Amino acid sequence: MSNLLAARAQMGTSLAFHIIFSALGVGIPLLLCVVEGLALRTKNPVWMMLTRRWARAAAILFAIGAVSGTILSFELGLLWPTYTKFAGAVIGLPFLLEGFAFFTEAIFLGLYLYGWDRLSPRAHWLCSFPIWISGLASAWFIVSANSWMNTPAGFVIEHGKIVGINPLQAIFNPSTPYETVHMILACYVATGFAVAATYAFAFLRGKRSEYYRKGLMVGILMAVIATPLQIISGDFNARYLADYQPIKFAAMEGVFHTEQGAALKIGGLADPNTGQIHYAIEIPKGLSLLAYLNPDATIKGLDGVPRQDWPNALLVHSSFDGMVASGMFGLLVALLFWGLYWFKKRTFPENRLLLGGIVLAGPLAFLAIELGWMVTELGRQPWVIYGYLRTKDAVTTAPWLNVSFLVFSLVYVLLSAALIWLLLQVAHRPLPQVKVVREGYQVTEPTIADTEEVGV
Amino acid sequence: MMNVALIALIILWWALITYAVLGGADFGAGVWDLFAVGRLADRQRDLINHALGPVWEANHVWLIFLIVGLFNVFPSAFSALSIALFFPFTLALLGIVLRGAAFIYRYYAVDTKGWFARSWGRIFSFSSLLTPFFLGGSAAAVASGQLLPPNGIANATYIVSRISPFVLTIGAMAVTLCATIAAVYLTVEIMDTEHDRELAESYRLKALIAGATTAVLGALGLALSSIESPILWHGMLIRAWPVVITTMIIGLATAITLYARYYRAARVLIIAETAFMLGAWGLAQYPYIIPVDYTIDNSANAANVITAVLIALVCGMIIVIPSLYYLFSVFKLPSPAPGLQRHANEQKEPIERIEHSN
Repeated sequence: MSNLLAARAQMGTSLAFHIIFSALGVGIPLLLCVVEGLALRTKNPVWMMLTRRWARAAAILFAIGAVSGTILSFELGLLWPTYTKFAGAVIGLPFLLEGFAFFTEAIFLGLYLYGWDRLSPRAHWLCSFPIWISGLASAWFIVSANSWMNTPAGFVIEHGKIVGINPLQAIFNPSTPYETVHMILACYVATGFAVAATYAFAFLRGKRSEYYRKGLMVGILMAVIATPLQIISGDFNARYLADYQPIKFAAMEGVFHTEQGAALKIGGLADPNTGQIHYAIEIPKGLSLLAYLNPDATIKGLDGVPRQDWPNALLVHSSFDGMVASGMFGLLVALLFWGLYWFKKRTFPENRLLLGGIVLAGPLAFLAIELGWMVTELGRQPWVIYGYLRTKDAVTTAPWLNVSFLVFSLVYVLLSAALIWLLLQVAHRPLPQVKVVREGYQVTEPTIADTEEVGV
Repeated sequence: MMNVALIALIILWWALITYAVLGGADFGAGVWDLFAVGRLADRQRDLINHALGPVWEANHVWLIFLIVGLFNVFPSAFSALSIALFFPFTLALLGIVLRGAAFIYRYYAVDTKGWFARSWGRIFSFSSLLTPFFLGGSAAAVASGQLLPPNGIANATYIVSRISPFVLTIGAMAVTLCATIAAVYLTVEIMDTEHDRELAESYRLKALIAGATTAVLGALGLALSSIESPILWHGMLIRAWPVVITTMIIGLATAITLYARYYRAARVLIIAETAFMLGAWGLAQYPYIIPVDYTIDNSANAANVITAVLIALVCGMIIVIPSLYYLFSVFKLPSPAPGLQRHANEQKEPIERIEHSN
């Protein structure tokens, strides 16, 4: 494996791993804030049971998110020193601001996760606010830096030197508003479906108490709010890309030749050698209509740039379709759930097929995030800073990157295996026993021996 | 007028010191976990779990802060360091990742005595031992002035030929320093929460032994620097000597307070000791970022960017420092914090004070 390929493989693996935890790190704190707030307000112990249960899982997930994020911050330098030299000079600031957001998050997580017996119920609940706010801010800062890689701004190159740096212009580059919103919504969509899927699974296995129903409904409520917004945001992104990142857009939609009244090609396999998409469903003039609301609009094709500057159209097009399909499936399931809920006069829908769909929507939502990132990152290739620095020129001169890739891959396998095992163990613990007392809750975590109610 | 790059560097150095006294202590606790055997073993592990649980993640962020700070302010030096220290940094990174994950896996294991918890406990302590060694060794390699080859272009394999007794000594000293800091903090923690004299005595002894080892290694490192690290040695002689001497005096004072069982005073002193030690390094190495090719002036980012960074730093610190103070006052400091529960007669009372402000 060449050094460049090994470095890309290691970076890609690291991002694919970390993004799961960062999405949960943005979404779960908001859910915790909501359910703990409901627990304090309604005095219904079920809300407190959910809070306690999620907090335990969150402690484990967030720690893995913190360490996998550390890997990335090191890898920027270790694998791509030339990139960091360039990016550090221009777009370093959001990384620093993200550092502060991470700081705030870690501090209040410490208070939140370990302060149950020390803090008053209200102070404890208040500690959840800085966590979800800083999680949101972290996502915004990091994605703004990524946006800059797609549409670099805030500097000029004179005689091979970077001059006239304007950090604010770099942060607010043209892609930032589109990419950040899309990613943040994705976190809420994925977290909502992940939670809903967990309880739908438990429900299908016969666990039907109020605890499971409430858990499912909170998750799918978040999903049903975030998913339609996400689809609208996706539409904005696509139309933006058509103008500002036309090559990425062409790869996504499989447009090889610039054409008027381009057809929308759904599915299929893009073949850059023949310039065709095999087995796709075609909607005539559909793409021009979607992108410009004009059936005869011109769509720029990959042939607008030399072949050596093409991203991998096969992967980008398929990833894009996979993302959209996963998102649409989620929307369908969430709407069906709430539709049935209202149609049946506010009774919990117990249709097994629907619940099975919710179970499926959980992993699909994360698949959509992964595929969406593949669209963004692979669609930018062969550039790391679009138009300025090629990926092959950014890679380190250090040797044995394939060994490094192998070692880190093994670490990810080890961490994942242990994580899944541990989360399953934690899920099989008996549920916490919650009693409402004056001005708060009394919670006892039963030991494994005195099992009464087991699960999730 | 002081230039902005120097101001930023001083702030970064302060962050380095903070990471050493906070994050270093967490690594040191992991080292002691390795030695937790025999009768007191379970009590020690519980103690370490309780000590690290709420704070380790926040302590770890200082490292992230250092990395992003360095690449904002000195992007070219950061790039050179990333290549030249590729191997030690990769190993330290593996240590950092395994340490954090292992700690949390052990902490939340359902069966705290089972194979899962025990295996991750081992990984936790070994990675806590290795990480400070590689970080300390990397620092020594930078300070030695021989990290980059004569042509000044960073090369990942060059460091292999530059592994010297000096580098190894400082790597080992980083481990013992972390262990000393941790042992001192843990004695205070034991006296505050467990009131367990036997355990406190054991950590007092550990602190004294680790502290003495650190002193010996430090003296050896200083002596070796005169041969292997001329730039550092020269800087010590002309500029940093008062700080070096103060470091030695504080070290002695730490030992005396520990011996006399003034644990709180020892905790303050060991923090000062670390600050002065790292301060002496910084002062001796001035004005180099990576001696001798990268200086503050030739590797600093554009002044307007650094100014923006400084503004961001001030804004960020306004949020982070009070929050950190609150975290530590809830879990580590004796001072009363707002928002705490009252444990009056086992019954929960309504609490009105909920503000986070100090």
